[in-house]
Amino acid sequence: MSVFIVILSSVIFFGSLALIFSERINRSIVAIFGSVLMIGTGKIFGFYSEEAAIQAIDFNTLGLLLGMMILVAMLEPTGFFEYLAVLAARASKGKPIRLFVLLGIITTILSMFLDNVTTVVLIAPVTILISEILGVNALPYLVAEALLSNTGGVATLVGDPPNVLIGSAAGLSFNDFLIYSLPVVLISWLGAFILLQRLFKKELSKRPRRSKAVMKLNPAETLNHPETARRILIVLGGAILFFFIHHLLHIEPSFVALSAAAIALIWVQPDIQEVLKKVEWSVLLFFGSLFIMVGGLEHSKALDMVVVLFANGSEISPVVFGILVIWIVAALSAVVDNVPITIALIPVIKGLGETGMDIGPLWWALAFGAGFGGSGTIIGSSANIIVTTLSEKTRTPITSALWMKRGLPVMLVTCAIASILYAIAYRWM
Amino acid sequence: MIVKNCMKRNVISIDEKTTLREAAVILVKKHIGLLPVVDRDDHPVGVIGLNDLLKLELPDFVNFVTDVDFVHDFGAVEDIRPSAKTLNKNIKSFMRPVITVEEDCGLLRAYALMLQQNLHDMPVISKDAKLVGITSRVDVGVAILSTWSKVE
Repeated sequence: MSVFIVILSSVIFFGSLALIFSERINRSIVAIFGSVLMIGTGKIFGFYSEEAAIQAIDFNTLGLLLGMMILVAMLEPTGFFEYLAVLAARASKGKPIRLFVLLGIITTILSMFLDNVTTVVLIAPVTILISEILGVNALPYLVAEALLSNTGGVATLVGDPPNVLIGSAAGLSFNDFLIYSLPVVLISWLGAFILLQRLFKKELSKRPRRSKAVMKLNPAETLNHPETARRILIVLGGAILFFFIHHLLHIEPSFVALSAAAIALIWVQPDIQEVLKKVEWSVLLFFGSLFIMVGGLEHSKALDMVVVLFANGSEISPVVFGILVIWIVAALSAVVDNVPITIALIPVIKGLGETGMDIGPLWWALAFGAGFGGSGTIIGSSANIIVTTLSEKTRTPITSALWMKRGLPVMLVTCAIASILYAIAYRWM
Repeated sequence: MIVKNCMKRNVISIDEKTTLREAAVILVKKHIGLLPVVDRDDHPVGVIGLNDLLKLELPDFVNFVTDVDFVHDFGAVEDIRPSAKTLNKNIKSFMRPVITVEEDCGLLRAYALMLQQNLHDMPVISKDAKLVGITSRVDVGVAILSTWSKVE
């Protein structure tokens, strides 16, 4: 019976994953259907129930994502992102290499605290604008923005959905990420940045046809609602401050994010329907449904088998094992969505911990792999997909071939740097 | 009143073999905004307007950035021109499907059609679907308004 249950739950889970990755049906629809199927089957064969399913949902992750989504939804229409990009354009004085550095840094910092997708969705259109009036090709800037936001997002607890998941599951605080992840990301980011600058050397050394036009861009005019922007930025700043000390106050990051959202809402009092329309409910439902499916997999004891499999592999040195995790997870994330991978691997790593293995460092290996792996292919991360789709509507579309030459090297370099630092820092993790 | 009473009869149209460059020359010379494209039997098969041609010059960013007020100088894009290759292409690859109105159509219906389809000019056809004229929002609108003077 138990083997039968394991097979049944695995078929539901991996069948859903396969459907999600095939992109034939919307991922949220597949996940909702899969989770209902998992609960139904679980009830019939007695391994899962509604209560267990509710318990399997990580509300910390959902709350943190929801809170940040509300804040960004309110900040977006103020024009703050355009403001930053225009400032960068003016500061660059129309010099491509300077513009490249400034836009890269802005994108990275934003994506450390905000969702990568939002950052890129808002910065990329202004990037196209700036490149067009300069008369230069937008490709290097767009590709770099996606890759650097993938890389930068790994640095903090709130930078990337896999980090939110890992932080919540492993009980890691915001500061843990600053101590263990940020230094690795800084060095990897620098590696990625230097590499990108070299790979795009030809494009970046070309002199723009009309460099003076950017000086006539007026940043003040991009801010539609300066007062609203000011209020939301104050709240966001406060939230980041509380992220630093959330573990001292014994409050969850999700509570910080939701409090910030609540304060911003009451202070600004926007049209709530408009704000809620911008919240990505399909993403939240996708996460929730995945949690329910993985919960079913856990309850059917299917994950225990994976744990046994991995535990046997742990005869190899733990450092090598961690580096293997980085590369395997990265390779998977390059071709498929890193969220289901992370959600599925979390219980496996927890299970390994129960066998007595030191799993502290493995959480970081998972975070690096899931984060950096996304740079590898044109579909590796949502940020990549967004810049590609945007560029397809322009005169110079990004192609898979181009990504192979620009994105894949960045993934390899960042993963390599992360592996080296992992090996060096292992004993302190 | 019907559309027949408020349309221009000397409608300028082009055939399907016209190139983009030739269409542009006609628009400039006649100072008009819309050209119906007709087949050998004078049946309208499409339209090409100023917007369709100017789209080729507009920078990509106007599709992504909703409010371009802060861009005071379009810089390099001001001197984008379509390539000679594009200009020599057949009009068929640029024209849009045509929305026509029959000459015996009522004025309010014709006006509502233009409003809903966001058209400023609309080709008029006869019963046997031949192009017989062209009317505009102003033509139809003014004709409707002219009846107001008879209201006691």
